[in-house]
Amino acid sequence: MRRPGIPAPSRETLLAALLIVEGAVFSVTGHGFASLDNVLGLARLACEGGLLALALAPVVLAGGIDLSLGSLLGLSSVVLGLLWRDAGWPWPWAAAGAVACGALGGLVNAVAVARLRANPLIVTLGTLSLFRGLAEALTRGVDTVTGFPAAFLSLGQGALAGGVPVQAPLLAAALAGSWLLVHRHRCGREWRAIGFSAEGALHAGVPVGRRRLQAHLLAGVAAGVAAVVQVSRVGQAKADAGTGMELLAVTAVVLGGTHLSGGQGSIAGTFLGFAVLAVLRNGLQLSDQPAELAGILTGVVLLGVLVLGARRGGQRG
Amino acid sequence: MTVLEARGVSKAFGQVAALRSADLRLEAGQVHGLLGENGAGKSTLVGILTGLQAPDSGVVAVGGQPVARLTPGSARALGIACIHQQPALVPDLSVAENLALRLDPPRALGRVRRDRWRSRALDLLERAGGGVDPDTEAGALPLPLRQRVEIACALGSGARVLLMDEPTASLARPDQERLLALVRSLRASEVAILYISHRLEEVAALADRVTVLRDGATVATLPAGPGRSGPHDVAGWVRLMIDRDPPAGHAAPATAADRGDGIVDPRPPLALGLRAIGCRAVGIQDVSMDLPAGRITGLAGLVGSGRTGLARILAGLDPADAGTLEMDGRKVHARTPAEAIALGIACLPEDRRRHGVICGMSVAANLALASPGRVFPGGWLRAQAERDLAGHWIRALSIRTPGPAAEVGTLSGGNQQKVALGRWLATSPRVLVLDEPTQGVDVGAKAEIHRIIRDLAGSGMAILLISSDLPELLSLSDHLHVFRAGRCVAGFPGGSPADVVMAAALGVEAAVARPPGEDAP
Repeated sequence: MRRPGIPAPSRETLLAALLIVEGAVFSVTGHGFASLDNVLGLARLACEGGLLALALAPVVLAGGIDLSLGSLLGLSSVVLGLLWRDAGWPWPWAAAGAVACGALGGLVNAVAVARLRANPLIVTLGTLSLFRGLAEALTRGVDTVTGFPAAFLSLGQGALAGGVPVQAPLLAAALAGSWLLVHRHRCGREWRAIGFSAEGALHAGVPVGRRRLQAHLLAGVAAGVAAVVQVSRVGQAKADAGTGMELLAVTAVVLGGTHLSGGQGSIAGTFLGFAVLAVLRNGLQLSDQPAELAGILTGVVLLGVLVLGARRGGQRG
Repeated sequence: MTVLEARGVSKAFGQVAALRSADLRLEAGQVHGLLGENGAGKSTLVGILTGLQAPDSGVVAVGGQPVARLTPGSARALGIACIHQQPALVPDLSVAENLALRLDPPRALGRVRRDRWRSRALDLLERAGGGVDPDTEAGALPLPLRQRVEIACALGSGARVLLMDEPTASLARPDQERLLALVRSLRASEVAILYISHRLEEVAALADRVTVLRDGATVATLPAGPGRSGPHDVAGWVRLMIDRDPPAGHAAPATAADRGDGIVDPRPPLALGLRAIGCRAVGIQDVSMDLPAGRITGLAGLVGSGRTGLARILAGLDPADAGTLEMDGRKVHARTPAEAIALGIACLPEDRRRHGVICGMSVAANLALASPGRVFPGGWLRAQAERDLAGHWIRALSIRTPGPAAEVGTLSGGNQQKVALGRWLATSPRVLVLDEPTQGVDVGAKAEIHRIIRDLAGSGMAILLISSDLPELLSLSDHLHVFRAGRCVAGFPGGSPADVVMAAALGVEAAVARPPGEDAP
């Protein structure tokens, strides 16, 4: 139902406009929202969620889904803590162990989806429970690892020159990397082809199984890296780390215009979608609004953007 | 007495006319055979008579009364029943429950009287040939017995007209004969039967009258019956089913060797050899053939004869589990589509919209999809290479598109097919397998695709052409293989008479007096 003459705004334009509106409103209502400190702090707080959303985008583009990323973040956090405290590994090794744990978890999803051809929704719903359950079993649900060395904590709490948090360049690198991969690499093109039509892609010689495997593996690695970032930021490793973050990532990806059926979507959209959600939370907090309002407004924003998108025929096959 | 009649019925799907003013009259107590090639319009006619499809023009009359808008429900109420090739029963319900569901659909708050239904089901199944326990789950029954349940259903509904679409196609010998006996007893009880079958001997033994469809039009309705001869016999039907005279524009096949420089090379080099290839997944057995460079090898056969299965083997989608592929005197493997592409084998799939192109992606992305090495050297996109590749094939195949960025789904069928073809030509194949390359494209695009196929062969490519369009196959092919039931049963030189090829595809020995080449075993 596109009106002639007026080009419909793209999802990215819509989200950028929404971000500007948010900025304008919260600059007035939020205490210190418009300060440089808050903007830098936002990058620090939002990094983990951003990593998960950016890593989830390729999975969804290829027509899949991963609901286990929050749980995998939790499991990787616990693995990091226990390797450092109980196994006595030096912290860089323990951090590498957490990333490896993420990769292993991603591989479990990948093998089930790509090799055993199981439904990704069911597989990752299962590993959502499995990974969280393992994390709770390892810590008996109550054990929290604290007292990390200062060098490790500076990863998440430290700042570079000019007060820029360590997370900022990491998030920028993740954004650039995923953009290159999705929009400039063969993998991105083939993820898209699989998302549009897995059978059609198979007929064209696309290695469908391998591409799906890579997408899930990458998402797992991102969950492991996010675990390191989060443990070093909050200074503790516990089993409930990352609870609910898988849904935040899915919301950001969908808000960003990626179709859950696969094929269509962009990294810019995913990042803007995530930024809209992160700024909303931060702005409401600084405006002394209750936390529940963030949930309500997230829902309103998502539904509103989807309705606008449907009006311009956004959910095309 | 005429119980069901179609008068001047026409139906088009998009630009393709499936039926052109077809006529059919079914009489009570008669078996009426309906014959025609693949795509002649038989299934569409059945769809119209059962109310599944509405005709664009023409009249359907039941008992002499024209019916304005026939629906599946009203057709059933008027006593029209259809036995499909694949019976549609609810697999988790018992046979008796399936019958109850069809014959007495449950109403809100209605009670199902199990015991009464069980005895009624038992009675109907007995009349349909017996051998079915009404308490077994329908999904557990083998196909012939499921078909018997369908027939019991038709009997129970008191059908006066029974349409049977290839009822014996999937039956073994004894089951076939039992079915034929049942058809005869139904005829004796004054039911009108429309009998569609590719098994012409069966029709000859059974039918009282026969109607032949060709290109959607009724060519002839003839009296039939055992012991008749002259134009009513099987060979005559075959002649009516196919177009004897090739349409204008179809020249005699020209081989690559005598095209161009005028020097005839009697033995062109072999591009790909198939040696006793078999594959259980697609039901192919012991297929051997040569695909010479620069030649068009045709593959004829009915739908389901295994032609597409062979294409899937060569594409690496369903790798062969028996036999070998030979290239340059070496044994080669095509275990994945990527391996097949690397060997230089390209396969244009039959189902264009599902497999041939990716409708949501751009023309350029579709053209480049099978050539990642050229557009993504080292994995990274070279936009210029993609633009060049897309521009080249858009020009070379005259693809009519607003531009390389246009979504393929927005193009016409013929242009989508050219995009699908261009994708494969971009891989610079040595062997090109074309599965129904002109199906559902308009006449102009069809002629263009024919010209492209000839040019490709002229440039030295080995082409395997699969087509249900016999005149197309005969006019393009240098050599022709015929498939039946997963085997290669005959080979013919290009330009062979259509009735000879059709007879081999149907498995009719009596049709023709002079079988050239290696004939059916």
